[in-house]
Amino acid sequence: MNAKSLIGLVVVVALGVLFWWGIQTKDQRSELPSALAGREAPVFEMELLDAFKGKWGEKINLADYLGKKPIVLNFWASWCYPACYEEAPIIEAAWRRWGDRVMFIGVDTQDERKNGNEFVARFGLTFPNVYDPRGKIGVDYGMYGVPETFIISREGRVIERHAGSIDMETLEKMIREVLE
Amino acid sequence: MKRWVWLLILLLGVSMAQSVGNEPPPDYPPEVFEIAKKLRCPVCRGESAAESNAGVTEEMRRQIAEMLKEGKSEEEIIQYFVDRYTDWILYEPPKKGLGLVVWLAPLIGLGIFGLGLYGYTRTTAKREAAYEEVGEEEIARLEKELEQGDRSGGEE
Repeated sequence: MNAKSLIGLVVVVALGVLFWWGIQTKDQRSELPSALAGREAPVFEMELLDAFKGKWGEKINLADYLGKKPIVLNFWASWCYPACYEEAPIIEAAWRRWGDRVMFIGVDTQDERKNGNEFVARFGLTFPNVYDPRGKIGVDYGMYGVPETFIISREGRVIERHAGSIDMETLEKMIREVLE
Repeated sequence: MKRWVWLLILLLGVSMAQSVGNEPPPDYPPEVFEIAKKLRCPVCRGESAAESNAGVTEEMRRQIAEMLKEGKSEEEIIQYFVDRYTDWILYEPPKKGLGLVVWLAPLIGLGIFGLGLYGYTRTTAKREAAYEEVGEEEIARLEKELEQGDRSGGEE
């Protein structure tokens, strides 16, 4: 095989590899690490959904909880089916299990208030959930789409982001890491 | 007649129910869209934050408008989104790192094509020159040799 044939073969193989890589590459937004990882969690003050006002007051200010306990911040919406419906019982179970050591805050994002309230009632959510009709908090956290879950350290820094429906194993791993 | 009235009320009710909570898009100045054009819609494929009607891009445009009102520059606003979404949020890949490869890819492709074309024309020219270099005497001698070869082959 002469040099020209060898170069031709290399080019063809390289193009083939490039083509294969192109068709293999999925949309990896869910695997992207949070751009905020290691940085201070953006604070917000937002009105709570109706069911939580009695216990938690009219609004929640994240700044009041930063620096005290790690925080699980979960973004959801009632229109996000089935992913948000799958993870809601898991988040609630985790809150009941670790609620004494970890703060949980839900963010109902770009939703109708009525539907958000119904979602809370349907899954019997007891951790505070704020109502963010504009999705402002989501943009502040660089969220791609619901559901997404962020873990904030005791020091108030974003540690990790999970995109998509979260399972108990993953959530438990994230919580244990932040509690260590 | 009554049926028509009821149908009209029903249709009106449905349209009103759909509009609850969906405020009409605010009338933003063109600068907002100029900046939004440079950002990707996080939940779409191949759409900028200026074109998309997704809720998240509506909020992005709203935030751009707010930041412009606060007197922030275009660079500061774009950096705000990069800080939250990484360079991924830029509609056009940045001219550095892997993004630079994307920008240079057409040039690299053109270069490879040019080299190939140059190689091909050079080889063709060489071949033609080689034909021209062969003199008439040489051709006559070669033809004679071929004829002789054919004859001796035929005798066998």
